[in-house]
Amino acid sequence: MPWKRIVSVVFTLLVFAAAVWLVRSMWLHYMDAAWTRDGRVRAEVINVAPDVAGLVVEVAVHDNQTVKQGDLLLRIDPEHYRAAVQEAEALVAARQAALAMREDNAARRADMDERVVSRESRNDAGHLAARARADLQEARAQLDEARLNLKRTEVRAPVDGYVTNLNLFAGDFAERGEAAVALVDSHSWYVYGYFEETRLPLIRVGDKAQMRLMSGEELSGRVEGIARGIYDRDNPESRELTADVNPTFNWVRLAQRVPVRIHLDPPPEGVLLAAGLTCTVIITPPTGEPRAVPQRW
Amino acid sequence: MPREIALFGVYLPNLTLLFLLTLAGGWVIDRLVAWCGLYRHAWHPTLLRVSLFTCLYGALVLYVYH
Repeated sequence: MPWKRIVSVVFTLLVFAAAVWLVRSMWLHYMDAAWTRDGRVRAEVINVAPDVAGLVVEVAVHDNQTVKQGDLLLRIDPEHYRAAVQEAEALVAARQAALAMREDNAARRADMDERVVSRESRNDAGHLAARARADLQEARAQLDEARLNLKRTEVRAPVDGYVTNLNLFAGDFAERGEAAVALVDSHSWYVYGYFEETRLPLIRVGDKAQMRLMSGEELSGRVEGIARGIYDRDNPESRELTADVNPTFNWVRLAQRVPVRIHLDPPPEGVLLAAGLTCTVIITPPTGEPRAVPQRW
Repeated sequence: MPREIALFGVYLPNLTLLFLLTLAGGWVIDRLVAWCGLYRHAWHPTLLRVSLFTCLYGALVLYVYH
């Protein structure tokens, strides 16, 4: 029965060929497409620090509260700064009086004859008046600064956002310049997709990006930029001005991950974003047709 | 169709789930074909069975990923 035998051989080989072709397309689909499972939702987090030091008398927000730009976050005890303003006002008044005296003196001497008052004394009087004017200016600047400090005892939100991980309470002492409240900017959501370096040639700025959160929600966006530098973990820092190269095992090397920044379109209604969420990122060229894969073999 | 599924807080590729699904479905089809006695006419029954399983898995994966 040779005819039957030929049919069975051809049929088996056909099924085998189909299997090979399917495995190859699966491989190409998986390896030569710009996608990653390692995506992170991120946001700009502002570390709000008071501009003046002092006791915290009031924390006007609670944890996870939504705030608008300019809303009061916390109030620092203004007593010291109020006293400083009064002191500066007093100094301005004193310097004003001193200036009036010096100017009167200078004017009086300027009118006098050279036989009555020496030229030196007359010139000195003029210079002393100028000095008094400068002193007054200094005192006014100090007053402005004291008023600014008093105003800065009220710490306000620099952007719209969410107060996060609030760990500051009335009675704490706040240092100047030391972060007191973390504020997540509500207009700054973006996604970092950590792409293997082998996939980078498939990505261009402006490409469309489709994201899927771990909880299932879909987001869309576009590629905003590709990081042009990551840390070299095999040469962390040089010691004694020589390179400190890690002796790696050369047989297997792992592809590095390069962050690709994705600008998010406004998320659909009801999607709750939080900095740090995991998502899958799939990137497609704007035209829809796949980009040519670089020759690797 | 998503590319992965969150199972008990672990992010799993759908490929693994599809493989389990194909394992079950493929076994049923394999038993059916064997029951019909078609393998007796095959050239190398083992090669045919492996190829059939691979085809089933590949077709399912490509369908899901598109």
